[in-house]
Amino acid sequence: MKTTAAILWEVNAPWSVEEIELDAPKAGEVLVKIAASGMCHSDEHLTTGDLPFALPIIGGHEGAGVVEAVGEGVSWLEVGDHVVFGFIPSCGRCPSCSTGHQNLCDLGALMGLGMQVTDGTSRHHAGGKDLTLMCMLGTFAKHTVVNEASCIKIEKDVPLEKACLLGCGVVTGWGSAVYAADVAPGDTVVVVGVGGIGANAIQGARLAGAKRIVAIDPVEFKREKAMEFGATHTASSMAEALPLLQDLTWGTMANKVIMTMGVGNGQMIGEAMALAAKRGRVVVTNIHPAFEMGGANMSLLDLTLMEKQLVGSLFGSGNPRADIPKLLGLYREGQLDLDGLVTKTYTLEDINEGYQDMRDGKNIRGVLIY
Amino acid sequence: MTRNGPQFQGETTMKSRAAVLYGIDQPWMVEEIEVDDPKANEVLVNWKVAGMCHSDEHFVTGDMVPPKELLAMMGVDDFFPFVGGHEGAGVVVKLGAGVTTLQVGDHVSASFVPSCGRCRYCSTGRQNLCNLGAGTLTGGMITDGTHRHHVKDGRPVKLMAKLGTFSEFATVAEASLIKVEKDLPLDCVALVSCGVATGWGSATNRADTQPGDTVVVVGIGGIGINAVQGARMAGAKRIIAIDPVEFKREKAMEFGATHTYASMAEAIPHLMELSWGEMADRVIMTPGVLHGDMMGEAMTMVGKGGTCVVTAISPMTETSADINLFQLAMWNKEVKGTIFGSLNPRADIPKLLDMYRTGDLMLDELITKRYTLDDINEGYRAMREGENIRGVIVND
Repeated sequence: MKTTAAILWEVNAPWSVEEIELDAPKAGEVLVKIAASGMCHSDEHLTTGDLPFALPIIGGHEGAGVVEAVGEGVSWLEVGDHVVFGFIPSCGRCPSCSTGHQNLCDLGALMGLGMQVTDGTSRHHAGGKDLTLMCMLGTFAKHTVVNEASCIKIEKDVPLEKACLLGCGVVTGWGSAVYAADVAPGDTVVVVGVGGIGANAIQGARLAGAKRIVAIDPVEFKREKAMEFGATHTASSMAEALPLLQDLTWGTMANKVIMTMGVGNGQMIGEAMALAAKRGRVVVTNIHPAFEMGGANMSLLDLTLMEKQLVGSLFGSGNPRADIPKLLGLYREGQLDLDGLVTKTYTLEDINEGYQDMRDGKNIRGVLIY
Repeated sequence: MTRNGPQFQGETTMKSRAAVLYGIDQPWMVEEIEVDDPKANEVLVNWKVAGMCHSDEHFVTGDMVPPKELLAMMGVDDFFPFVGGHEGAGVVVKLGAGVTTLQVGDHVSASFVPSCGRCRYCSTGRQNLCNLGAGTLTGGMITDGTHRHHVKDGRPVKLMAKLGTFSEFATVAEASLIKVEKDLPLDCVALVSCGVATGWGSATNRADTQPGDTVVVVGIGGIGINAVQGARMAGAKRIIAIDPVEFKREKAMEFGATHTYASMAEAIPHLMELSWGEMADRVIMTPGVLHGDMMGEAMTMVGKGGTCVVTAISPMTETSADINLFQLAMWNKEVKGTIFGSLNPRADIPKLLDMYRTGDLMLDELITKRYTLDDINEGYRAMREGENIRGVIVND
């Protein structure tokens, strides 16, 4: 069939919205009519080259839609089901999936290829070329064919343009606070960078009972948004936050520091570690350039003597199949704000304008509505 | 390459010899049953080895047979006939449609709790609580609720844990099978599939035994002996094994116990002395049948802040336990239940088998005697008399 998709043909080029050829789903795959896609910073990393991928690629990994066709042997999805895509597949059987770490499913190893999980070939074609898919999903398109391991079935009462945010940003931010940082009641928490991830780290820290939540962002609009999501204090930089935290905590500093910047910078890790208390934990959630030089600038003596911890986190260390439905439940009960996350919606044709707005710091999250 | 298995074509039903139970307090009848071919997401397995676990005996005594009222709620008319066996290892013979994780010729371990890999519990590292387990005592397949197995008179027959390892062949859902490497002896695989994992996990995972702990294991059968080895591997300082049978107390010492006693009453004063009055950090209950009135002595053995893990099966209709709740609160004690030692079948069955491969986990020493399927009643008599740590049925 034919559908429309935003393709990146080369690094530093704009997204090209054009018609593509889409094959029918093969065994274990489903055809999904996508309703909405979040515009995550990780897709921007494709265009800058920070995340090196085989091109041409269809971007987008925060999506939700309706199953339109199922391939042979698909056992837990039916035509008409509403699904959110997990940006990492979850097979449910590998050692990671079997022990409650679906975010590290072994199928994730195939992600860099951007082809189908089942057989390593492509169902998406344009200009006589096979297209790769961001996270084996390609949600910057009106339809896609993906493996059922990438689909999480959800109830039909939640609007898909909100549900799509659960595929990456919301769980990543929320889980960074709740699971990776393990925020406990009474903690002082710092969130560095208030975008689609950071705003949800703030919500997670609030739900986990943090006493103080210090949100750091250079953009005033984002600091205002942070207060709406539950921050108690804001600062425009880590340097500005340091004396604030010393004052607030009587010198004991933050129990948890969560790094959710647009792009991470190893030279800034030392500053983040300085915000952490004795036995404090710094969680690195944001993407650092794949070939970042110079490493992490931090004092390992401070790490040892103050028993600090530096922890990486993917998908907020959450389990797509358990946490996407769980957070939709929190949204339904009014305990998780998804509506406030969406600053502006765009059509697929306006995708480049949307990313310009993101670069200009105008959006917490832009969402494409098809 | 497609990961979909070939759909079977040809015969649709085969005969298999199986041990069938027709009612409470009756012997196992070894006879032919009919086994239908696997449908979607099912496979036909040739069970090579079956462990003779006490849980199957609980159906003979009726401890695990749901009472009539409960059966009605489950929508089941008659619980029997019933093919026993849930500890097993075998070889995949045929695949139904849509099977992705297994191929013909694969060696498999049974898993008495299925693991779908997709429900909330499977998704958060608690596969032992997979939602598919809800139908364990009802008849029919996990996949679609219909029957693949019938006795001679044509009646459908239930399979223990939907596995029926006391049958030479059975059609089983993919969700209940764990692929294992072919270098592993199938009798070892069979033991790990239930008893070893349950006992080992009770000590390591659920009791969370720490280096330096004092651990008590009450009842040394196929579960308790593995709780002893789990506690040893987790670094327990003292492991006190309690069993009335001398042979089992001797076995417990071979598996890592440091002290043994014939009863909890006998153990209590010694435990007090050994621990300078602090009592045990962990008490693990693995008798053949647990009754609520045994919990008083068990909780007496638990020290301040200590943990009592209940692994053993109690009669289904028993509803009271002798526990001093004042002491529970004031001494911050805890009582925890466990199924499958709170382990994840898909991760932990291969993990335990690899520990056998490296020589860390004792499995060969667990098998007291091997039986043919025809000798099943003799095997269970020996279990009741306390002659076996574990008997296994081997099909040639």
